[in-house]
Amino acid sequence: MKRLCLLILASLALFFIFASPGLTRDADTLIVVQESEPVGLDLMRSSLQNTMSVCYNIHDTLFYPQQDASIKPALSDKWEQIDDLTWKITLRKGITFHNGEPVNAKAVKFSFDRIFDPEIKSPNKGKLSAFKEVKVLDDLSFEIKTEKPFAPGLYMLAIYLPIVPPEYIKKVGNTKFNTDPVGCGPYQLSKWVRGESVILTRYENYYGLKPFYGKVVFKTIPEATSRVAALITGEADVISGIAVHQRKKILSSGKAYLTSQMGVMPYLGINTYEKPFDDVRVRQALNYAINRELINKALFNGKAILCNGPISPRTFGNDPSLKPYPYDPAKAKALLKEAGYPDGIKVRLAYPTYMSQIQEQTEAIAANLSEAGIQATLEPFERAVMWERYKAKKHQLYIYWWDDAPEPDRYMYSLFHSKSRDYYYKNEEVDTLLDKGRTILDRAQRAKVYNQIDQLLYKDCPWAFLYVIPEVFGVSNTVFYEGNRDGFLNMRWAKPKG
Amino acid sequence: MLQYILKRLWHTVYVVVGISLISFFFIHLSGDPVQLMLPGDASEKEVDELREQLGFNDPLYLQYARFASKAIQGDFGQSLYYHVPVMELVIERLPASLELAVAAMLFALVLAIPIGIISAVKRGSFLDMGSMFGALLGLSMPHFWLGIMLMLFFSVELGWLPTSGRGTMAQLIMPAVSLGLSLMAMFARLTRSVMLEVLSLDYIRTARAKGLKEQIVIAKHALKNALIPLVTVAGMQFGFLIGGTVIIETVFGWPGLGRLVVQAIFSRDYPLVQAIVFVLSLLFVGMNLLVDILYVYLDPQISYSAEK
Repeated sequence: MKRLCLLILASLALFFIFASPGLTRDADTLIVVQESEPVGLDLMRSSLQNTMSVCYNIHDTLFYPQQDASIKPALSDKWEQIDDLTWKITLRKGITFHNGEPVNAKAVKFSFDRIFDPEIKSPNKGKLSAFKEVKVLDDLSFEIKTEKPFAPGLYMLAIYLPIVPPEYIKKVGNTKFNTDPVGCGPYQLSKWVRGESVILTRYENYYGLKPFYGKVVFKTIPEATSRVAALITGEADVISGIAVHQRKKILSSGKAYLTSQMGVMPYLGINTYEKPFDDVRVRQALNYAINRELINKALFNGKAILCNGPISPRTFGNDPSLKPYPYDPAKAKALLKEAGYPDGIKVRLAYPTYMSQIQEQTEAIAANLSEAGIQATLEPFERAVMWERYKAKKHQLYIYWWDDAPEPDRYMYSLFHSKSRDYYYKNEEVDTLLDKGRTILDRAQRAKVYNQIDQLLYKDCPWAFLYVIPEVFGVSNTVFYEGNRDGFLNMRWAKPKG
Repeated sequence: MLQYILKRLWHTVYVVVGISLISFFFIHLSGDPVQLMLPGDASEKEVDELREQLGFNDPLYLQYARFASKAIQGDFGQSLYYHVPVMELVIERLPASLELAVAAMLFALVLAIPIGIISAVKRGSFLDMGSMFGALLGLSMPHFWLGIMLMLFFSVELGWLPTSGRGTMAQLIMPAVSLGLSLMAMFARLTRSVMLEVLSLDYIRTARAKGLKEQIVIAKHALKNALIPLVTVAGMQFGFLIGGTVIIETVFGWPGLGRLVVQAIFSRDYPLVQAIVFVLSLLFVGMNLLVDILYVYLDPQISYSAEK
């Protein structure tokens, strides 16, 4: 009996020792779980989604980007366009960085110059390359000039130009700033335990809307099932990286809901410089050979949006009169025959292996292609090799993706302008229109230019257009948070539900 | 003995240099990270400039010499992605890796040895067959699957244990069990077979003939000899555990070296790969040395001083 009592006591003790930690939570703390941890906290030095998400809580930009590619004031108080090449911007009065340094025009100039500093190797400097210089007018006002009229200019500044503290960076250097940053955003860095968590605390002197949660903890769980489990058990309040097949599990748990964010737009790239794809009929045949509807039903529960051209249906400038290429293997065969390939063709189809969803899509696409007489040999490549071969023009067909940003210039210029990437396709008419699209400031006129680009590329098929998969965040029922099309987890907007 | 240890430590230098050479040349053969570090619209000029700046245009032997001369002074360079000294990153992650490896190893050994002994002593019994079937099951279950099943049951269904992370004992249980279960199965089978062999030897019959209690015969006479192969295998496995737990680290968000090295390889973060390989090879060699020293304790017939 004595032994039995001891055994029960020991079991209870073990249960309380082991089971209690981690289950109690502070109501003022928000826990956000992502797929990977940030590689640094200097927003200028990374273009990785998970890294940028953490950074946008620490750093602020001149404007808030909006879902329709417009902007709203953030650090800026007012702005006006002096001429086609110049904006005059005035900052809000009395804003400070987390260390007390003032946010002024000099800090803006310092930040602008820093993004082009070769030592920083900023992956985002190309996005701002249309800008020429920042000229300080007085303590709070400055002019920012472009080489040519640049329509998406303010939107690009809203995303890619965080304002950083000059004195602090001069004092600590770029390396230290990357691990121990000072920003002017709603949260300041409290502690970064690399590999485990980034702990942010509310910046009490923040100029904007005061964030509700006093503390935000960013954690990393690379495995998707584990992230979902953390959300359902209440260990996480917000999670990113949710595969389509896991969404139902979250909803049926009754513990959390989904909120939409950016979309992933995969595409089947084509090497148009080499046979047989130098013939537009063969490229069109590819488009007719893919059963987008079926792939959407089978892999995405019908949640994907079929693409009707290279510009996402959710992006400004998409031409809604275009219809997605229908699935028509007979027409694909006929086009191949017309192009001189009556017996079909054999092709190589490359895809990167670091996204499991891409593999299943590639396999489905390859199966579709074979029905139209296009026999694809799959070429799985590890991330770096895939990218190296892409840049070395070694792929014949390849699957890559982009996020369907609200602003078309964010991806159309990068992917289709021959000055940017002419690895697999070049079209001078498209080049001219892309340049024009950047410079037209009138929104309606600008939309027409992108409609034209959409139509041209729809016919010329430099890609087989696929679909947009709208991504979601999972959010605990105790928290109110709406995802944004930029896809960043900006926790200043989160608050308790009810 | 001391001389033997010093000699082995000296051999470690050769091993570490050899490993660093192999890993250096292999990772450099797979291409340089410059293209990955720059955005897709970077010009050829920018690519060339960065390549020059990082020294990738120099011949490989020169790059290795530059790396080795700095590494000797303890400077393994800066991570190309984290932009901080690589040793800092390795040292931050090492405790988590060691903690998980020790916990998994303890879990495996504490259960495997008694199971192995009981199975050997009660050979052919229901208990023996049951535990060996269990061991087979443990060996066959993939870590990944087991980890997720444990999490779904103990965290999601019962709410007893946290799903992931590091910092509390509760967070260590599931990763250690998922990792340790197959080891436990392997050790139990090994203990059983070695014990069976030892129990049939003459000196055990003599011990029994002397009238010693069966428990003493097993615990004192048989087990100590049976432990030698177990120590060898456990030592080797411990070395693997420190860097090779990437799947469990991924499932449970455990901040160990395994995930770091895989990320470093995929992103071609050469300095980081080199530093991790260096630390892991040191630990591996150190573990082997410790195993050799343990032999002396377990079997007095083994004496390294006789080697000279």
